[in-house]
Amino acid sequence: MSDAMEGNLNQIVEVIDLHKSYRLGKNNFVHALRGTSLSIKKGGMTAIMGPSGSGKSTLMHIIGLLDTLSKGEVWLAGNRIDNLPKKKLPKLRASKMGFIFQGFNLIPTLTALENVALAAEYKGLSRKESAKLARERLDVVGLGDRIRHRQSELSGGEQHRVAIARALVNKPDIVLGDEPTGDLDTETSREIIQMMKEVNMTTGTTFVLVTHDPEVADSCDHQIQMRDGSIVDDSASKIDGSTKTLS
Amino acid sequence: MIAMGSMAEKLTLLVDGGIEYYKDKAIVSEGGGMAFMASPMSKDRIKEVESIDGVKVAQAEINMLLEDLEAVNFGQPPMIVGTDLRGQEYESFEITFAKGRDLKEGDHKKVIVGSDLVNKLDAKVGKRIKIRGEKFEVIGILEKTLTGPDLTVVMLLADAQELYHKTLPDVLRKELKAEDLVTGITAFVDEDHDPDKVAKTIGKEIEGLSAMGPKAFQDQIGSAVGVFSAIITLIGLVALMVGGLSVVNTMSMSIAERTKEIGIRKAIGASSFKIIRQFLMESGVIGIIGGLIGLGLGIAFTSVANAAGNESGTALFLVTPRLAISAVLFALILGIIGGFFPAWRASRLNPVEALRYE
Repeated sequence: MSDAMEGNLNQIVEVIDLHKSYRLGKNNFVHALRGTSLSIKKGGMTAIMGPSGSGKSTLMHIIGLLDTLSKGEVWLAGNRIDNLPKKKLPKLRASKMGFIFQGFNLIPTLTALENVALAAEYKGLSRKESAKLARERLDVVGLGDRIRHRQSELSGGEQHRVAIARALVNKPDIVLGDEPTGDLDTETSREIIQMMKEVNMTTGTTFVLVTHDPEVADSCDHQIQMRDGSIVDDSASKIDGSTKTLS
Repeated sequence: MIAMGSMAEKLTLLVDGGIEYYKDKAIVSEGGGMAFMASPMSKDRIKEVESIDGVKVAQAEINMLLEDLEAVNFGQPPMIVGTDLRGQEYESFEITFAKGRDLKEGDHKKVIVGSDLVNKLDAKVGKRIKIRGEKFEVIGILEKTLTGPDLTVVMLLADAQELYHKTLPDVLRKELKAEDLVTGITAFVDEDHDPDKVAKTIGKEIEGLSAMGPKAFQDQIGSAVGVFSAIITLIGLVALMVGGLSVVNTMSMSIAERTKEIGIRKAIGASSFKIIRQFLMESGVIGIIGGLIGLGLGIAFTSVANAAGNESGTALFLVTPRLAISAVLFALILGIIGGFFPAWRASRLNPVEALRYE
């Protein structure tokens, strides 16, 4: 671990000079991230905002180990994770991270309970333990009486709560949300934001939310603005007086 | 596959039964024809055969078709066997009776009926049935042996001689007396003699006769069964390819439809191994379900075909437990092999791309 990292153990995520390029055609590259650096405080709620194509989802995918980077470093809870062998990533995703996607991304053939328990099973828990844990989490999000329902039998808000329960079932260090309220009406959206805030406050779980929704961003204690693959505004740097260079 | 397999099973058990039956015997015929096509020979040949060292006793027999063949028959056609019972006490091939009793001296115009001919002849113990135009009383019905005796009516030699005599062309019929006719002799060989060697000696020392020991039987039948086995193998390979490609196709389609689901699973922590395992299990289940459906259809088809064949005494198919288990196992393995490539491809999907898939 570098000195900088040792000194920043209260940061859950540290991204240093992150580049990501995609090849389009033979000699054509798209630069999705152009030297992005940021720190995310443990136990906080961070909103990453920006127009479509600004690189916010790519950034989230790289932090969530769903995508690879072209250059740079990514640290999670004091451990460098961008250079880990590929086969170690699923276990790390299952145990340290939770995901909430736009459109909830539940598996339609499984019940609410099975959807939540699946994440625990992938962490290595037995089917019985996973089911027990999943039931507890569904209770927490107020769906204790809907555990046997499939996606098609749940409302948008309920599906979202199942997705939250799934993201939280393994008590992750960080929950990454990609447009988590994108498909919800205003009232349900507020309800969900409130629920995430409550979880954040009661469990100390860090939330990083990629969003277009100003209401989501306002409810977060840390806002990051991105454009063309670079961070153009970071509220943490203003408050902390951080020396982070903004592109 | 089940239909072909059950046909092969029937044939295999028929041949196995034949091998078991011939293991301590030498089958003697005039010139060396197959049993039901043998040319007639004189009964006096018995003494000549019994004079050969190693022959315990020689039993005179008439082997003839129960009825004239109207078409090419697969497997063994229904037969009449007439015996002089001389070898009865030396017989090592175990036959049990479902009903009634065995033949004994003096059972004139009485018959024992093999299990597969019961329906065809409408046979019941005590009932008189017609065989080649003559009436016979049924005194015994055999238990199923899954081999030759199931398609055989056994009677005393004298009765069979009369029936056989009637089938001869006019010229021969006038020349030959019924009581002198036999179509084959079964030489029961001493335990301390090799039946194949005894058969060779008979062929060498008695002019005009040829004899077949258990090894010769095995070779002769084996070559015929070999052709059938080759056909079965070929059909099996075609089924393997068609079935395998069907599973590959089904699983590939299923994976294409579930790309997003694979992305979700990977995002929440599924390893490549778990994805492969999941899809292999699914393809295995598809294989088992396909195997069970195929088995059901096969059993239905062979039952209908056997019911139709029973009327003519030729049940061609036999679905044994070992065939059923093999068929379902084969389908399971085929499912797993066929599903492997699609499962492996699913495990390699990029989670981000898979999540974007609509």
